[in-house]
Order: sequence, then C-alpha cells, then structure tokens
Amino acid sequence: MLFSSITFLYYFLPCVLILYFIAPRKLKNSVLFAVSLVFYAWGEPVYVLLMAVSIAMGYICGLAVERFRGKTLSKVFLAISVAISLGFLGYFKYADFFIENFNAATGLSVKLLNIALPIGISFYTFQLISYSIDVYRGEKAQKNPINLAAYVTMFPQLIAGPIVRYADIARMLTERKHTLDAFSSGVTRFVFGLGKKILIANTLGELCDVFKASDDKSVLFYWLYAVAYALHVYFDFSGYSDMAIGLGRMFGFDFMENFNYPFISSNAAEFWRRWHISLGSWFRDYVYIPMGGNKVSKPRWFFNILTVWFLTGFWHGAAWTFIVWGLFFAALLTLEKLCLNKILKKSKLVSHIYVIIAVLVSFVIFNAASLGEAGEYIGAMFGAGKVPAVSQEFFYYFKSYALTLAIAIVGATPLVKQAVLKIKENKTGNLVVSIAQPIAVAALLVVMTAYLVDGSFNPFLYFRF
Amino acid sequence: MKTVKIITASVFAVVIFGLSALCIFLPKNDYSDSERRYLKAFPELSLETLISGRFMSGFEDYALDNFPFRDTFRSIKAAVSLKVFGRLDNNDIYEHNGYITETEYPLDEKSIDRAAKIFKKINDDYLTGKNANVYFSLIPDKNYFLAKESGHLSIDYEKMVSSIKSKTDFMTYVDIFPLLSIEDYYKTDTHWKQESIVDVAEYIAKAMGADVKTEYKQNQLAKPFYGVYYGQYALPLEAEKITYLTNETLENCVVYDGENRKNISVYDMEKANGKDPYEIYLSGPISYITIENPDAETDKELVIFRDSFGSSIAPLMAEGYSKITLVDIRYVFTDIVCKMVDFENADVLFLYSAIVLNNSDTFK
Repeated sequence: MLFSSITFLYYFLPCVLILYFIAPRKLKNSVLFAVSLVFYAWGEPVYVLLMAVSIAMGYICGLAVERFRGKTLSKVFLAISVAISLGFLGYFKYADFFIENFNAATGLSVKLLNIALPIGISFYTFQLISYSIDVYRGEKAQKNPINLAAYVTMFPQLIAGPIVRYADIARMLTERKHTLDAFSSGVTRFVFGLGKKILIANTLGELCDVFKASDDKSVLFYWLYAVAYALHVYFDFSGYSDMAIGLGRMFGFDFMENFNYPFISSNAAEFWRRWHISLGSWFRDYVYIPMGGNKVSKPRWFFNILTVWFLTGFWHGAAWTFIVWGLFFAALLTLEKLCLNKILKKSKLVSHIYVIIAVLVSFVIFNAASLGEAGEYIGAMFGAGKVPAVSQEFFYYFKSYALTLAIAIVGATPLVKQAVLKIKENKTGNLVVSIAQPIAVAALLVVMTAYLVDGSFNPFLYFRF
Repeated sequence: MKTVKIITASVFAVVIFGLSALCIFLPKNDYSDSERRYLKAFPELSLETLISGRFMSGFEDYALDNFPFRDTFRSIKAAVSLKVFGRLDNNDIYEHNGYITETEYPLDEKSIDRAAKIFKKINDDYLTGKNANVYFSLIPDKNYFLAKESGHLSIDYEKMVSSIKSKTDFMTYVDIFPLLSIEDYYKTDTHWKQESIVDVAEYIAKAMGADVKTEYKQNQLAKPFYGVYYGQYALPLEAEKITYLTNETLENCVVYDGENRKNISVYDMEKANGKDPYEIYLSGPISYITIENPDAETDKELVIFRDSFGSSIAPLMAEGYSKITLVDIRYVFTDIVCKMVDFENADVLFLYSAIVLNNSDTFK
C-alpha cells in the first residue's frame, strides 16, 4: 500500500489510528503488527508468508545467539541467521541477475526464474540482519515474538526505510510514550513528507518520463532531465522518509533521520553522510568497520571502500547500472581521499559544482535502462552524439516545470528551514508560524488529496529496492 | 504552543476522519458526467481475488473513482497545477483565449504511413476500375490555431499534409485549412460547429464537382453543451449551445443506420439529451450510414470515409448527391464494410481530422 494513496489516507490510516489508540498499552504492539501485515499483504498477499518465515527465523536465531553468547554456537547461529536472510534476498532479488550473467559468460541458456521482487525485502532483511548482529554484540534478544515482529514489519518504515536498527528501537518497543507533542509534530512531518512526494517528486517524475519518451532531445534537455531526476529521487525518497518518521512519532517511535540536505555537500563523502543516512551507516557499522575501516593499510582501505560501494550499488538493484553507480562513488571517494579534497577545500563554489555534477551524472547512471543508455545520456550531456544544443520540447517543458524545479531546488537546501527559524526568533514571527502550521497542514492535505484524486502517476521509487 | 499542537492534530483528524466517513457513507455514482465514463464499482471480494491481489487493485480504483466531491477535488488540482505551479497544461489539456484543447504531439510518421497504406489498400481493392473519383481532405484540430500562439507543442501540419499526399497520389487533395479558424470550433469540445462549416462543405463539394449551395434554418438545442475537454480540464467554463441546420432537403432525406439496421434521422433528438449531445449529428459513432436524398437533381453518389467530424458536415453535402454513404473504419473492419458499398462512378472522399490521422491505430 502506498502512503500517497486514497486507500491509505482515508481507509487504512483512520482505522489504524482508532485501533491503536483504543488498544490497551500491552496490546499496542500486537495491533501494530496486525495492521502492518494488512499493509504489506495489500501489495504482496503471497510474500507476507516469506516475511513471516524470515521473522520466525530471526526470532529463533536471536534467542539462540543470546543463549550461547560467548560460545562458538553463538557465532554459528549468527551466521545461520545472516546466511538465511541473505539467501532469501539473493534468491528473490538477484537470482535472475546471476543467471543472466552466467548465461552471457558461458553461452549457456539456463532458464530464468522470473521471480517477482517482494516489496521491501531489502529493507526488512537488513533490519533482521542488524537485529541478529546487535544481539550477538550484546543487545538483549527480544523474548516476545510479537515485539520483534512489530519491529520488523512496522508499516511506517517497512517497505522503504529508514532502515531502523534494533539497538536504536529496542527500548521504544516496550517503553515508548504517546504525547500530544510527538503526535502533532508527527502529523506535520507526515503531511510535509506527503507534499514532497505528491507535489514535487511525482511532478518531476512526469518530466523524466516525458524526456525518456521524447524524440526531440537536446543537450539542455538531457541536463534538464538529469536535474529533474536527481531532485525527483531526493523528494521521493526523503518525502517517504519524512512520512515514515512522522507516522513513527504518531505511534510513539523516534526513527533516525535519513536525509540532511545532501545537495549542499562539498564532496561525495559528505553527500553520502547526508543521503540515505540509515543505509550508509548500516554499511559503515556492519560491513566497513568490521572489515577494518580506515585503520588498515592504504590498499586494504581502498579495497574496503570498493567493497562497501559495490554492495551499496548492488543493494539498490540487480543490474550493472546500480553496481557501476556504486563503483562511481567508490572512485570519487578514493580520488577525494587521495588528492581531490585538497583542491575542493580551496573553493566552496568549485566543490559544490563538483558535487552537483557528480551527483547528476551518478543518477543518470542509476536510472538508465542499461550501461549503454547511461553512456549515451552522459555523452549527450557533454555534447557527444551530434545532439542539438536546444530543442522545441526543451523550451516547452522547461517553461512548464520551471516553478516546480525552482521550488524543488530551494526545498533541497536548508534555506526554508533557516528562514522559518529566523522568523520564529521574535514573538510576532513565532505567532505567525504557529498559526500558519495548522493552516498549512489542512491546505496541504486538501491539495494533495486533490492531486491523488486526479492523478495516476504515483509509484514510489524505493519500492523496487 | 500547546494550542497549536492541539489545533494541528485536530485539523489532521478532522480531514482524515471526516473524508474517511464520507468515503464510506456517501452514496456512490455509477457515471461521471464530467469525464464521460463509468466509475469503477466495488470489486468482488473472494479468497481468489485477495490472493491474486485483484481485490486490492480493484479497491484502489474504486476508492479513487468514488471519492466524495471528486470533481471539486479535480478542479482544485487543476487550479493549483496551472495557477500556483505555473504548469502550461493540466494532463495535456490547455486553455487559450477561452478555447480548450488537448496537446497533439509529436507527429507520428508511422501513424500517417499506416493510414496512407489503409487508404491505398481501399483504393487498390475496391476503387480501381470503378471510375470513382477519389479525394482527400484533412481537418485541422484546434491545436493548429492555438498551439503556436500560446507556446504549446504542436505537430508540423505542413509535414503531415505533404507526407500523406506523397503516399496517396491516387487522391486529389482538397485544402480546407484556409477556410477554418478557431471560432469555427466549440470552446470545450474537439469538434467544429456545423453552422460554421457550411462554406467548407460547399468548397469540398465544389472541388468534387457538386453544387451543395443552399439555405438552412438554424436550430439550437436547449440543453447546455459541455464538450469532451470540459471534464478533463476540470476548471469551470461557460456552457455552449449546439446548433443544427435544417432545410426541406434534409427533412426529406432517408437515413439508414447499417450497423443497427434501422432508419434514423439526420438529427437524433434522443442523443441531444444524452451524455454527448454532439451525437445529435447522425446519431454519433456508427460505422455505416447512408443518407438518401429523394429530391436530388442528380444520381451522383458520394462515399465518405470519415471520423466524428464527418457526422456534422455530411448532411451539408446532401443537396448535391442522391446518396451519401458514410463509412467509419474505426468501428468496423475495412474489408467487411467496403464490400457493402457501391463505388461505381462515385465520388469518394477521405475526410479525417489531424488527430485521427496521427492516431491511426484506431483504424481496423
């Protein structure tokens, strides 16, 4: 089920709010678990069983890891848990990719499995792995299977993150508080996230689709597409994270922030500290640091970087474009550490231009249907391939989407937040912002409902990961 | 600050729970007048539809289609999109000087080629050796008049004409572009107004060697006319009136609906109160119609391969022919209908709008 759907907003959410808040405290996690299953089964009626098996396996292994803590068996059960989780992920997400490449390399024609990707498998698998590792590292195993199931399946973050780590949420599962403060801020965060998704991300997604279908491409149109797509992904995914965090607050949880204005970064390393923070920190804590991080020889350090970024790319999808996208960042990070940072530190403007161009190019690779298409698009952006500089369609769509793009560009920086904080510094300003907040919530809800009723373009990008 | 939090939470609750209650309890409509389509019904609930996911997808469609105050919400969306975000169109529909149209872009060369091949096949299979005179006329759609002036994308009409001409050298092209202007079209509909195309009918007929010059009485339907773009554009616009032309010749004409095998009238007054009042002209989309003129001073016959634009112009040519046959190959297979038509010594006119030629996959 999509957050940005009539079904979620006006059927599912009201029922959930009623059930959750009338349920006695000890049943709240059961309610969350039950409604999360409905939420998941709405889009994946069959794969809900796969998720149930994964949770049962994680629960049993977690108890076993704790039971044999300090002994070899603890490591064995951790290995079993991680292997089964990765096995499911490998089978359902990557099997056909491996078969295709095996066929291409050997000339054989092993039949593809044509397995439909279970929604959110990459997210909940990583959460289960984090649970097993956290228990292995000393966190208490969850004795109550409902609590563990509620953690893994919790609908606000089930299918597109943030990847909530067990260690961060263990106490909240049993000791969270429900306050007006949290509920109100959750409502505001949810509605603004919904606005980012529906008003900005979906609109820019339309522009990207128009570009892809166009026979009248030009160099400037390629750049317009690159900008639109990068902003589309940002508003889509950060909007979803805002909604998840907002819904979490409404139910008493405090999920980690997932984005922190990544486009203002000065280098690629900073970009990744600000972009999809929960994934970046997951790989840092569960892969990069266990491999030795940067406290190893230089060649090994670069190997660690390469491994983490290969995995980051591959996590996003079973295609070479995603792997190359990850390796592109590995190359940038390595270059930065070797020499680029010294140059970038000299000029803020140059460093920002560098990051923006690098990110735009990276997302062109990310969204390409193939490496060939990625090469063609990037080449065209830099004038290769006899593409005209401008075209009729570029002018039309630039004009039609100019305001949305402008709003998106400003919204991708902390300018609005800073302006609001500045206004709130004096009493009158604070009053104005206080009055504007509920009005904005109401207006946005009405406008977004209008967009949903009218629109058909609405898929969330990160569902496929 | 606490008050703000209470108000924010309350506003959210009122909107979410209020609209939720309306979603559940408000009576549902079967049909959307503004969009001219049936709305999705509640899906079948069974174990099979649940497991396959068909219930869920069906419910999503149902919830969207049956949302309370749907048209009002669609108007809000259109207003925000066009006026706040400065978009140049709303779902490809745009307005210029009070006229609404849908962007027709880009020129689909394959579609033109497909149409030309179908026309040529008709000529080769059914017209060759029949002493038939074959003509072609292209009807510009509203974008021809509006797009460039308003800065919207539009197809290259010159290229379209030259492309079709170069592929159909067996037809004589009758250029009606100079005779038309945007005022000859309904503001909220695709079509031209019958009262504005009398000169077009005369011009085409003259090019075919027929004289259809005559006088008509103008009649107006009482029902307000909201064209096909009205609902799609979603912003409020003034209604128009449909005018239809009559004279003694038309009153005496015998019209036969070959698809439904019954006699009909030139102007179908039942359709005047229907969902699309433009269907008043020859009862709307019918694949095979004949108009016989008992008062004709000639035994000349005309066959028109046409789209919906042909419904309003064909009666205006009745004066110059003893029989007009209208064929719409979007609704019947070409080979089936052509076998029913006598092309011997007839004038044959291919009369199509630019929109249909650019989307010729509708031809059968």
